[in-house]
Amino acid sequence: MAAATACRLASVCRQFQSVVKISLPNKAQYSSHVLVNNYHSCIQRQNYNLHRFSRPDHARLLHTSASKWGLEEFFDLPANWGESTVKSGSPWTAKQLRAKSNEDLHKLWYVLLKEKNMLLTIEQEAKRQCVPMPSPERVKKVERSMQRLDSVVKERESALRLLQTGQEKGRPGEWRRNVFGKTIWYRFREHPVPWNMNKIYKRKRFYTPSFVTPYIRLSLEKHLKSKMRRERKEKQNQKKLSEIFPKKTAQA
Amino acid sequence: MARRLIYPLYQLGNPQLRIFRPTFSMTLVRPGKPQPQDTVQFRVSMEMTKFDVKNYLEKIYNVPVAAVRTRIQYCSNKKRNHLNQRVKRPDYKVAYVQLSQQQTFQFPDIFPEKEKQHEEGSVEAMQEKFMEDERQRQKPDPRRGGVTEWFGL
Repeated sequence: MAAATACRLASVCRQFQSVVKISLPNKAQYSSHVLVNNYHSCIQRQNYNLHRFSRPDHARLLHTSASKWGLEEFFDLPANWGESTVKSGSPWTAKQLRAKSNEDLHKLWYVLLKEKNMLLTIEQEAKRQCVPMPSPERVKKVERSMQRLDSVVKERESALRLLQTGQEKGRPGEWRRNVFGKTIWYRFREHPVPWNMNKIYKRKRFYTPSFVTPYIRLSLEKHLKSKMRRERKEKQNQKKLSEIFPKKTAQA
Repeated sequence: MARRLIYPLYQLGNPQLRIFRPTFSMTLVRPGKPQPQDTVQFRVSMEMTKFDVKNYLEKIYNVPVAAVRTRIQYCSNKKRNHLNQRVKRPDYKVAYVQLSQQQTFQFPDIFPEKEKQHEEGSVEAMQEKFMEDERQRQKPDPRRGGVTEWFGL
């Protein structure tokens, strides 16, 4: 009896799925494999398409977003509690991320952020209870994929900026010499008062007085000396090492 | 990332300033001193303000927040390194978040004791099996029905 009802339920579910064209990700798939897999992005793409094509928000039947749980998202799945290792995939590569749309990337950022918060929470609790954290390598993986995602988004932004405005940097600036004769990169910023009436701006001195010139020479000398000293020390160190380890492999 | 970002000067009528890809991280911690049931303790990034914490939880985590209180925890400067120089442990900001809508939160036990399964053929497994066999051997004969050994033939 029970088996028969289960079978019928399953068949109904399948029909339902085929209608809605969405695969229900259960909690397990969602959280512990956030790092990897095209499956996830596939869902997002589907979601996105669903959103775009003729399905108003209030008519959405399935909530695939994980944001319904609230504070429980700061913890791993209850199934993973007390395990010594938790399976996780490899971090997102830049190549994979470049294939995604900008919106997907920004969604993925929040998924990764939540994952990172969860891992930090577990790490802190493990530290407090003096037990090893399950699979601590996950933290680094998430961080790495976040860094890559960020670099990919920045690439796109800079490409767009170059096309539209021709500016190489997001924040414009120029090379200037300060009072000490050093050349610095001055980054422009907005002033509520124009520069010729701005007291604070006028207090800054972007010129080198003539009496500073000998000191410029001295500072250059100091820099060169320290550089030479560092190089000599390195060379001596290498020499000493090669005496201790005469094999060729040690010198590399 | 949102770090080291300078926003345009705000003038009336400008669009609201937004952060894309925030780098703030929040760590939910078990409170050291007992807190009221609706209060959750977090360790947050130093740059976050109370409003940031509130917006972060409401927008990203969908958690209703009533009030946020923050403080900065000073960490010890006592540790010494191998050159006997002082090493400062980094300070952190602690946020006490009160939930609204009669929500309560209890920090769960995320490291429960689980039965350990030793791998097949490992030293521990063999030892356990040996101990089990010994225990079995030490047991009295069940066919005697609890009658002592010295009694009978």
